[in-house]
Amino acid sequence: MNSQDLRIAIVGGGRVGLRTARTLDNRGHTVIVIERDPVRSDQIADEYVATVIEGDATKPSVLKQVGLEKTDVLAALSADLGTNLATCLTAERYGSPIRTVMRRTEEEDDEYADLVDETVFPERAGARSAVNAVDPGTRALEDMIGDLEILVMEVTENAPVAGRTLTDIGLPRGSLVVSSADGDRIADAETELEPGHSYVVATEPDVEDEIVRLFRG
Amino acid sequence: MSEAGSRQPEAELGLLDATMIGMGAMIGAGIFVLTGLAAEIAGPAAILVFALNGVVTAFTGLSYAELAASIPKSGGGYAFVREIFDDLSSFIMGWMLWFAYMIAGALYALGFAPNFLELLHVYGVVGPPEAVGAVALPVVDAAVPAAFLLAFVAVFLLAALNAVSTAASGSAETVFTIIKVGILAVFVVFGFASPMFSGAEFQPLFSEGSGAAAILPAMGLTFIAFEGYDLITTVTEEVKNPRENIPKAIFVSLIATVIVYLAVVAVAVGTLGAGGLAEAGEAGIATAATSFMPTGLPIIQNGGALIVFGAVFSTLTALNAVVIASSRVAFSMGREGQLLPTFGQLHHRYGTPFIAIVTSAVVMLGSVALPTQSAGNMSSLFFLLSFVIVNVAVIRLRRERPNMNRPYEMPFYPAPPILGIVLNLLLTGVLVEYLIRTDPLALGLSIGWILVGGVAYVVLNRVRSRSETETETETDSDVPAVTED
Repeated sequence: MNSQDLRIAIVGGGRVGLRTARTLDNRGHTVIVIERDPVRSDQIADEYVATVIEGDATKPSVLKQVGLEKTDVLAALSADLGTNLATCLTAERYGSPIRTVMRRTEEEDDEYADLVDETVFPERAGARSAVNAVDPGTRALEDMIGDLEILVMEVTENAPVAGRTLTDIGLPRGSLVVSSADGDRIADAETELEPGHSYVVATEPDVEDEIVRLFRG
Repeated sequence: MSEAGSRQPEAELGLLDATMIGMGAMIGAGIFVLTGLAAEIAGPAAILVFALNGVVTAFTGLSYAELAASIPKSGGGYAFVREIFDDLSSFIMGWMLWFAYMIAGALYALGFAPNFLELLHVYGVVGPPEAVGAVALPVVDAAVPAAFLLAFVAVFLLAALNAVSTAASGSAETVFTIIKVGILAVFVVFGFASPMFSGAEFQPLFSEGSGAAAILPAMGLTFIAFEGYDLITTVTEEVKNPRENIPKAIFVSLIATVIVYLAVVAVAVGTLGAGGLAEAGEAGIATAATSFMPTGLPIIQNGGALIVFGAVFSTLTALNAVVIASSRVAFSMGREGQLLPTFGQLHHRYGTPFIAIVTSAVVMLGSVALPTQSAGNMSSLFFLLSFVIVNVAVIRLRRERPNMNRPYEMPFYPAPPILGIVLNLLLTGVLVEYLIRTDPLALGLSIGWILVGGVAYVVLNRVRSRSETETETETDSDVPAVTED
């Protein structure tokens, strides 16, 4: 846990897994994807967002090839609950402290809350996008922003921007600090980026890693 | 008003750009600065030296291609080694590679200075080198600082430029490299056509006394002329369609560079003779050019001035490239927690790895006090050692991560990495032996750097374990939020 970028292993390079890998790579993290299907595995390698391990992640000999001992987070995002649970438990067993995130297949299901650190239900976001398309007058936020990422970022203690005002810092073109600390006001030139507080930042994908590095150290 | 960003983001690099980054770093270093020194050691066999180095380095090139295609990280050889080696080994790798680039920076700066003086001389701003040389002996103190000062200023200005701006990257490098290669092409064409070349003297091929054995130390010294593919892999994440373009860029830049080298060295040895080339030292190519290029041209007057300009331009752009490369290695190490975390931080205003650049620049500025040959020796030594580790990394990854998707798999595995390891170690051994005999300063400083690295590693581990116990209680809030659903 001594590096500033996370090392993240993603089980399952399907739509959810790959999309997650892309987003995390954009933020400058190191991503390793385990994918069983050889064709899909080549497709992911083509995108050059992650190192790809081709094989069945439920086999410890395959899972260990992501380098579990230095991996910070394991995200089991395949469509199969059994695979996800098995890989999370294997990772807990072999990884020195590792955070596990598991994709669950039932919407309301806290059955596994004690076994893994976090569960996600990606279908909810998918359904929201569908609702937005069906009823465009009232759109939920996630779906109306095209390629832009709207991030809520907490400034860390050692971040380059910590304790500085917006006039003081130079942000890359394609990024914008929207709100001041904890979202009560619109940011202006005098807004100070205080460590421990969160800010809403809009960023184009090209510069996302730089923004994350400026805010998170 | 909310603060909108104002700095330009980095551009995407195509195959041409990536190839040119590799060639740009190689050409300008080896050829302009080291040809004279290689001729001094090996005689006319300097041609063989460059050809054989091309072969040796091709094996490591294959390893880089395989690693870079499967591991999407921009950190050069360090990133790949970090992937599979433990903390200590990867630290040593990064520490050596960082140093290799910094010393290369000093080498290019030292190559820049005499060529710049030569350019000034061609236009009559300073006295002719013969006159300077004649007066130089009694007043060594006055002559040395001029070149030293120039080298110092060059490093300082380029480091300052890169510290406050991210603009000087990819596409400019393409234009620079095309200019460099164009100028060398002019050199080669005029050289082959010149009457001096028709009476070319390549015999005896090996210098008397040391004979064929002299090739090896000369190879060690000039090895740095082939370090460019590591540089390509420091920018892989900005390359378009990387899985195809990176291996291609590595091979194309390597082959093109070897061809350019061979033509240029053949012309230089053919026209000036190995002896004359050796005498000219860092300004070897420039001196050769002035001897046969036509004079009385419009604007530039002396055709040789074009080549001298090429040398000045090449050494400066190569210097710029290694300023960036060295700081990227230090930045990666900082981000991996293998140097102080501040090395891995972007500057709040300039968005550059400021601390990494400034620190690298300080070491480079100190190193321009070295003799050119020592800088070449040390830089080559550390590149050789780093490349040994990269080759080992390929083998370890094949064994321990058999399921890793390798978009580019090298042919005839495991022969290339094994040959790479053996040949690089052989050159390392020869170079060390040569240093013991002729350049104990370089050897001492190299060992010194490793020792400093050992101390730094221990101290950093202490600092880190202390800060980790302090933050142990709050690590839970330390992980960036994962958006649920």
